[in-house]
Amino acid sequence: MGKLGKKARKFAKKKLQCVMRNNRKFKSRFKHKAASVNKKCRIGKSDSLSSEQHFEEKSVDNTIDAAAFSNCLDNIYGEDDVDLMENGSEDESIVLQDSDCPYISDVELDNDKDSSEHAALSENNKDIHIKIVEKKQKLDRLLKKVPKFSKFLESRRADLQKSKNEDDSDDEGDTNYLNGVSTSEEHLNNRRVINSCTVDLWCWLVIEQPEGPALSNLLNVFQAACFYGFDSDEGQLHEFSDKKVFSKVLMFVLSEADGIFCKLLGVADSCSKASILKSMNTSEWENVRPFLRSYLKSCLLLLNQVTDGQILIFILSRIKSSIAFFAAFPSLTEFLIKILVHLWVTGEESLALCSFLVVREIALKLHSNWYDSCLMKTYKAFIGHSKFFEPGNHKKMDFLQNSIVELYSLDLQISCQKVFVSLQQLANILSQTIKTMKKDELKKIHNWQYINCISLWVKFIVCNIKDHDLQRLLSLSILIINGIAHLFPGLRYLPLRFKCVQMLNQLSFSSGVFIPVASFIFDFLDHNENITDTTRVKSCDFSSVLKVPKHLLKSCKFQEECIFSAIELLSAHFSQWRYHISFPELSTIPLILFKRFHEKLNNEAFRRQVKRFIDQVEQNKEYIERKRDVLSFSPGDHAAIDSFLQMEKSGCDCSFSKYYDSIQENSRSRIAQT
Amino acid sequence: MESHSPLYLFPLPRKTEERPIGGQHSLGFYLHGIEGPLEDDVDGASIINEDPGDFPPETCPDDLQISYHDCRFIERLTISEINTHTILSLTTGENSPENLEIFQKLRDRRRRERLLEANDTETNWCDATSPNPSGRVRHRSRKQTVNLHEVWNWRELGHGLKSPGLGRRGSSCRRRGRQLEPRRVRRDIVGRKWREVRELLQKNRPREEMSLDRFLFTNLADRDDDIAKVEKELSAEEVFARKKIKLAEVGMSLLEDPESNIKCLKELLHICNEKDHNIAKLGLMSLVAVFKDIIPGYRIRLPTEKELEMKVSKEIRQTRFYESTLLSSYKAYLLKLIALEEDPSFHCVAVRCMCILLDAVPHFNFRENLVAVVVRNLNSSDDVVRKLCCETLRSLFTNEGKHEGQVTLEAVLLISELVKAHDCHLHPDILEVFLSLKFDEDLGKARPKENAKVSKKKKRKKYLEQSNQLPSTDGKRRKHELMTKTREELNADMKSVSFTPDNDERRAAQSEILSAIFGTYFRIIRHCMDSSLSRPMLNDISSIRLGQHPLLGPCLTGLGKFSHLIDLDFMGALMGSLKKLAGHSGSHCGSTSNSLTVSEKLQCCIVAFRVMRNNLDALNVDLQEFYVQLYNLLLEYRPFRDRGDVLAEALKTMLWEGKQHDMHRAAAFVKRLATFSLSFGSPEALAALVTIKHLLLRNSKCRGLLENDPGGGSLSGLVVKYRPDASDPHLSGALASVLWELSLLSKHYNPSVSSAASSMLSTEGMNPSQTQAFLSTVSPTKAFEDLTTEQELFKAANKKFSPSRKIKSGNEFVLMNAEDVRKIESVVDEDVVEGKFEEHFKLLKDFDENERLRLELDRTSAAIRLYGEYRQQKKLKRKAKEDKKRKCL
Repeated sequence: MGKLGKKARKFAKKKLQCVMRNNRKFKSRFKHKAASVNKKCRIGKSDSLSSEQHFEEKSVDNTIDAAAFSNCLDNIYGEDDVDLMENGSEDESIVLQDSDCPYISDVELDNDKDSSEHAALSENNKDIHIKIVEKKQKLDRLLKKVPKFSKFLESRRADLQKSKNEDDSDDEGDTNYLNGVSTSEEHLNNRRVINSCTVDLWCWLVIEQPEGPALSNLLNVFQAACFYGFDSDEGQLHEFSDKKVFSKVLMFVLSEADGIFCKLLGVADSCSKASILKSMNTSEWENVRPFLRSYLKSCLLLLNQVTDGQILIFILSRIKSSIAFFAAFPSLTEFLIKILVHLWVTGEESLALCSFLVVREIALKLHSNWYDSCLMKTYKAFIGHSKFFEPGNHKKMDFLQNSIVELYSLDLQISCQKVFVSLQQLANILSQTIKTMKKDELKKIHNWQYINCISLWVKFIVCNIKDHDLQRLLSLSILIINGIAHLFPGLRYLPLRFKCVQMLNQLSFSSGVFIPVASFIFDFLDHNENITDTTRVKSCDFSSVLKVPKHLLKSCKFQEECIFSAIELLSAHFSQWRYHISFPELSTIPLILFKRFHEKLNNEAFRRQVKRFIDQVEQNKEYIERKRDVLSFSPGDHAAIDSFLQMEKSGCDCSFSKYYDSIQENSRSRIAQT
Repeated sequence: MESHSPLYLFPLPRKTEERPIGGQHSLGFYLHGIEGPLEDDVDGASIINEDPGDFPPETCPDDLQISYHDCRFIERLTISEINTHTILSLTTGENSPENLEIFQKLRDRRRRERLLEANDTETNWCDATSPNPSGRVRHRSRKQTVNLHEVWNWRELGHGLKSPGLGRRGSSCRRRGRQLEPRRVRRDIVGRKWREVRELLQKNRPREEMSLDRFLFTNLADRDDDIAKVEKELSAEEVFARKKIKLAEVGMSLLEDPESNIKCLKELLHICNEKDHNIAKLGLMSLVAVFKDIIPGYRIRLPTEKELEMKVSKEIRQTRFYESTLLSSYKAYLLKLIALEEDPSFHCVAVRCMCILLDAVPHFNFRENLVAVVVRNLNSSDDVVRKLCCETLRSLFTNEGKHEGQVTLEAVLLISELVKAHDCHLHPDILEVFLSLKFDEDLGKARPKENAKVSKKKKRKKYLEQSNQLPSTDGKRRKHELMTKTREELNADMKSVSFTPDNDERRAAQSEILSAIFGTYFRIIRHCMDSSLSRPMLNDISSIRLGQHPLLGPCLTGLGKFSHLIDLDFMGALMGSLKKLAGHSGSHCGSTSNSLTVSEKLQCCIVAFRVMRNNLDALNVDLQEFYVQLYNLLLEYRPFRDRGDVLAEALKTMLWEGKQHDMHRAAAFVKRLATFSLSFGSPEALAALVTIKHLLLRNSKCRGLLENDPGGGSLSGLVVKYRPDASDPHLSGALASVLWELSLLSKHYNPSVSSAASSMLSTEGMNPSQTQAFLSTVSPTKAFEDLTTEQELFKAANKKFSPSRKIKSGNEFVLMNAEDVRKIESVVDEDVVEGKFEEHFKLLKDFDENERLRLELDRTSAAIRLYGEYRQQKKLKRKAKEDKKRKCL
């Protein structure tokens, strides 16, 4: 936090550069002491401070989960800020140059007091206002009563202010506030108040005649709007008379800018990257470039500042449509990706989806330069975010995994290597752990981060293995999953092992290779003790835990969950091979063990479930055996075996597949209940 | 922590082999008749350079060749190393080779005089210039001067001592180096180091005090309290430091010259009685170091009263005194250690000390007590202590030369007694120790023949002698008798002097050891069988902690290892009990009749096969029952619970290495193993497949399993249809089945497994002549090891990914529903967004406003507050004025 605060302060210092510069400029001209303006000065100071605080909060917000995996993100952040600001000053000079544009200056400052829906803050303001009035009166009375006091007050005021000043800003305490006061005073006079008429006029002008000076003015105002409240408003030369004006400017620029720039550059509506690149060398581009930059930068700042979901979605959708323009501004693109990834990881559903779509758009449109960066950043953010499991997190986790898979599937040539490296890293950790078997090493495996990572890659493989050659990835991931399952014996880790089985089943199903999983399930069959504890335990959901708490081990619910999960997983395994010629042999050992288990069970409900499973498997086994008896080919004849029962496979009227469907249905309803 | 021994830091002089006082050897020989060359008795001066035992003699000055390196070393020594006044004063300018020669002459002379010298005054002289071939000393000493903290880094020291392996290695290094180093040099350097350390310590102390003073002055608030406390601490620290110095001084003097300073042992012993635990521990550890170094290479026998009465020379008296003091102090020290072993805070140190002593001087007096304690601590609940004891015993067993094997026997007997006393509920480490025992197999066989030869020869000789004797005269005969008598005496003497014990004795000891070991093993097995009927006491905590049969595992391993040494008489009983232990209850439900784990049962089977193979190859006993066990155990095997390597081992010993198998049995195993590999992981599967392949190759009839032959049932004998759940391989009817499993296994994810399966399916694969090579190389255990997760992971982690084939890229969604995704964007309503922007603006504005108002409020209220101040000032002024007035008045 200390570090961040410092950084933020530094940032604010940079941010306030324009103010400081102005200060210096005006220093020589105004050296009068103006007590009455002191007040104003205070405002300026405090505003800058508030923005500083504001930013501080923001940056904390940004980095809190990112800090989990590396410090480098911090660095990136810092660089970005510097980048943006340095370029910003240059930009301003370009955009600010023209002022020969019609400007209507009939100021109609309306008081916002009539429409005070913002209860809390406005109320607060009102209270304070009343208090001020009271105090002022008191002071006045005192001054009247004791005239000498005013002199004393005057002499002490300077001290008072100074000490306060030091309190507020620790490393800017030495700034000459008196000069600053005069500056801001002057500044305020210089500011143009924008009213709705002006904006309307400018909008009209821009639409009619995009090349004209109105665009620059409008963009200036847009920038001011984006900076509003973020920067000190003394830094801007524009003030908004009205909230309507503010929103009008933002809405207009956001929704029209893309089209206008396209028109200016003379490219078709659907701005493709190729056409942008083509027009990069033309003179038009040179003219448009500063405007474009100003627009995009302002958008990003706004994106970084606004918290409301819908506004964000709107801005994102606009940015998405003009994503091709970002190709010209690498630093902005980097900043954009960072914001997007942050929103994607932390935002709520639709916002996250939206930001993911923009990331995907970048990956598609700016493929060659930014695909790698997108892959890395999203994966890192995912790792940082997948440390803990919260009950409501399931859907979000799914979404994150899905979107990463989507992103990685865009170009397998590149992404496969990344996936392989990541899997190798996981494998390294695992083999280290197997070697040492230390407790804290085991914890590295036995956590959600690790499991989520491996399940992410399993998902990726499952999605892509049908169309691509991912044999290496497949075998490595199977190896890792097997290793995980072997590392954690014992009943308590059953949920973790069942997760492994689930992943293996998925892999086997999608790739068509045979992965034996039965042995993962057997060990719980032996553990069956007569459960006497029938106390009402709420639930025992295997999907949300990796390790069962000790007190649940003997509970009825736990046994139920075990049996149901085991049956589900095993029938998934069997249903994949239900028409294979060696199904009878595959089911032999599981059947023997399940029969023994069935004999030992005493809970009637469970017995029924197990019995049903046994019956179904036996039925299928007998069916295959019957079909097999009439065959004449030998096990060596691969072609014949592959064609065995192909006809039946295509149809789904087999009793076992029906049974499997019902099992899945059951489990779904059970999850829904909990 | 406990092992704070400053004495470990400097090179410790080695044992007695370089003892400078020559009388001692002769005395030793005189008293005990076991050590030292005979001629020592005659000329005491000549033995100085002779080392007893297997240590090479100290380099004789005449043989010394001074190499270039030596000179260089000496030069360097004089230039950079000399920082002690004594050396400096004596050696400046004497770094040329000529000086060396002079020095050697001097040295020669000194050697001759040494006997008479009690205290050598010339030591330093000699030390400074004595050639040091290795340069080790210098190197070491420089390292030690680096800093004080390193010297007193207790923890490090303790750590160094804690790892016994390291310590031993270090000592052996030292020994090797030491053999070349003249002892005097070491002594002096030891002394010098010691002095330096002491100086440094004293120098350091004032600084500490100063800082403490500063600390005191900064905390003035509760100064009185602190001062008292700190003073107390300070004094304690000082006392501690002083005692350390004292300890070091005494230790040093002892090592420098044990003969004259032997009384110091008492002093050291006294330090061990200190109340301060740290000091006491330090004392204990220092004593270990001292004893390790000064204990002679023989046993000390105190002179009898009769001997005491005899008049002896001065040297002998001196040596007697020395030995008796040493022995009595050693005894007192051991008693102390044994007493402290009970004390929990000293337990670890005491055991460590005893382990070090037992390891270093197993030949010396009172070793029985040491062995007893160490063996007792084999069952310690403290892991460190247990490991230490195990390590000590192992080194005892492997280095039998140190104690002629007698201690081995003692230890083994003690362990077997311990097992008996604890009713087999002990830590498995106890039996692991046995595995490092070595038995000389030739001993039993070769010796008797030799004996016979010798006796034949003797007989012949006697006959000859007798025939010669007959015609001789009386005088001649007497002379002859005298000669034979002396010769016999001489022989007896030689025998007692020679280090190698008689083969007969060794054989006897070995057989005794063996019988003790097997007695222990059989006891454990018997116990396991008994306890399977009557469960052990439930209140026994150790049994719960250790599992039901903690000793069975190592016991079976041991039986497997020493199976070739088992006496034939025991064989029958052993097989019977193994059969019972491996026994399968027959019924799957209900409580099984014995509580052994699957791994243990498998181990029983393996041991049974090993025993049979090693001993009864000729008898050809069919081990049918064990096959039945294995057949059923395959179903009981669980990859997480049981040890896969044991299973692979069992497959290897019982099926892969076995002789020709019965057709039915082989077929049954083939079928079951194939089924087995469909359910279990790849290492198990591959081990099973290798075995299957082997069985199929050996049994041509079983190859019918690979063909779907409708007439295959003709071979199946009694059972026409295959019964997968049969518990007897003979009754399973496996010959009637087809190995369909292989077709699924050829789709296995693991390439080795799938290729093994498909190679069996292909017709060429089963051609015996072609696959012979493959068969002989890969055993089930090897196959299992190759495919363990660890190995595979290791392989995988080192591979590089190369995108092999063309991978196309697509722009479509893979997982998400594209329609749903696209809908999201159209959801946003612009009007709503506009409204939100307005709100946003208002919020920001209000925020600003709030900020401004707050400031104003603050300022105003501050002004009002100032008013109070103003009034106070006024009052003061007024008062001052009044005062002035009053003064003026």
